[in-house]
Amino acid sequence: MDDDRVFKALADPTRRLLLDKLFERDGRTLTELESDLEMTRFGVMKHLRVLEDAGLVITRKRGREKLHFLNPVPIRLIHDRWIDKYTAGPSAFMAGLKTALEKEDQT
Amino acid sequence: MIASADLTTQIYQVFIKATPEQIWAALTDPDLTAQYFHGARTKVTADHYLALSPEGETWVDGPVFEFDPPRRLVHEWRSLYDPEMAAEQPSRVTWEIEQQDGGYVKLTATHDKLDHAPKTAVSVSGEGWMFVLSGLKTLLETGRPLAG
Repeated sequence: MDDDRVFKALADPTRRLLLDKLFERDGRTLTELESDLEMTRFGVMKHLRVLEDAGLVITRKRGREKLHFLNPVPIRLIHDRWIDKYTAGPSAFMAGLKTALEKEDQT
Repeated sequence: MIASADLTTQIYQVFIKATPEQIWAALTDPDLTAQYFHGARTKVTADHYLALSPEGETWVDGPVFEFDPPRRLVHEWRSLYDPEMAAEQPSRVTWEIEQQDGGYVKLTATHDKLDHAPKTAVSVSGEGWMFVLSGLKTLLETGRPLAG
């Protein structure tokens, strides 16, 4: 509904890291998410709140726990709207080259 | 797409400019589902959920657990379109339709109880449900199926 909120939510390394962590394993508590972040519980809560407002994270209560789930649909919609049309042709080639070279770098 | 390690509960949510009644119709009217749900035609009653392929094969067939138009639909999921997935334990799909300000509806699809259906869990994850939900949004907002 609100692309601005999604872009703003994604424009922060900690929030992108939180999304990656949920992608690795979905349905985590705040305590699990904050465990390997060098940040106060309050700070992580604030970031999760921004992600929730953007629709990128959805919470569900399970007993006394609050679990956080990744909702990838807003990113998909941004991809469809903004990225698809720019990634055909030369830019796709460049992106592929970058991925291939960086992979080589790591090995 | 790389699968997430824990796929036993998956939640997908999208905002759609439509009424709750339009969303409900889009989930239960076979002529509408055929336009965004991989061509599947669903037949939904208060106690039974059936999805047929364009050729009339049974893709999903199971009980409806909750039927509350136009707010909530909960039904069993078994992927009968694939023999290996069909042999797995049934899982559950919950559709929640919530009216928002500005003529929007928040549609949430939760696919859970996938603990004993790992192949199904991978198959429906990510692109699977996302394709269905973005197709549904496009259909309701533009009146046309998603291109491509």
